[in-house]
Amino acid sequence: MAKVLIPTPLRQFTEKNDSVELAGATVAEVMAALTQKFPDLRKQLFNDEGKMRSFVNVYLNDEDIRYLQKDATAVAAGDTLSIVPSIAGGAAVREVERTLPVRPAGGV
Amino acid sequence: MIKINETAWAAMVAHAEAAYPNECCGAMIGQTTIGTIDGDVKSVTIAEALENAYAGAQGARYELRPEDLLAADKKARAAGLDLIGIFHSHPDCDAYFSKTDLENSCPWYSFVVLSVKGGKFDHANSFLPNAEQTVAEKEELIWPKS
Repeated sequence: MAKVLIPTPLRQFTEKNDSVELAGATVAEVMAALTQKFPDLRKQLFNDEGKMRSFVNVYLNDEDIRYLQKDATAVAAGDTLSIVPSIAGGAAVREVERTLPVRPAGGV
Repeated sequence: MIKINETAWAAMVAHAEAAYPNECCGAMIGQTTIGTIDGDVKSVTIAEALENAYAGAQGARYELRPEDLLAADKKARAAGLDLIGIFHSHPDCDAYFSKTDLENSCPWYSFVVLSVKGGKFDHANSFLPNAEQTVAEKEELIWPKS
């Protein structure tokens, strides 16, 4: 069994459990077992096409599975999976202002 | 509603002002009380300043390393608390949720934006983006002396 750590906002979908023990030989199998056990969690983690949402990262122990074998990464008993979002952003407005062409007065 | 205590707020403002004219970012840790008279109330007691990992110019962009967020989550769990939000600053710009913010957000957390003008904190707002990254609802934000 592997342990999946549940981020706080998702615990409303896991009967308030902050971690869940699940069976599975790969990350994909463990994640499938997780959403099978808690179906409401599915749309939080996967889009309508069944792909993991762009902002969802999975870590096996302390390693990002994208740098391992992605969702085919083998999971051993006692491993811990963490769900971690990608977050970025920024005002980005000043860059836009600098690059936008100035519209001449008077229009077309 | 999200309430930020004095210690956490001071750390957030200090981080935002120190990073100026660049954007700063960090994690907010605390507890959520479900179903009060005001609805669910998130109380932030710890603000963890994290490094802006954006590779280009940081005056109008930020990026959090997932590893840093994972470490903040572990710290919260160890203290019996929860990771409940993310904060970042907008230097010389209002505290709105930009298109860039929305397209790189996650619906699980509160996003507090601090406006820093001329190096000094000006105002702040909190937002709750949706899973499709198309809309962010404004959330009531209470900080000390507000």
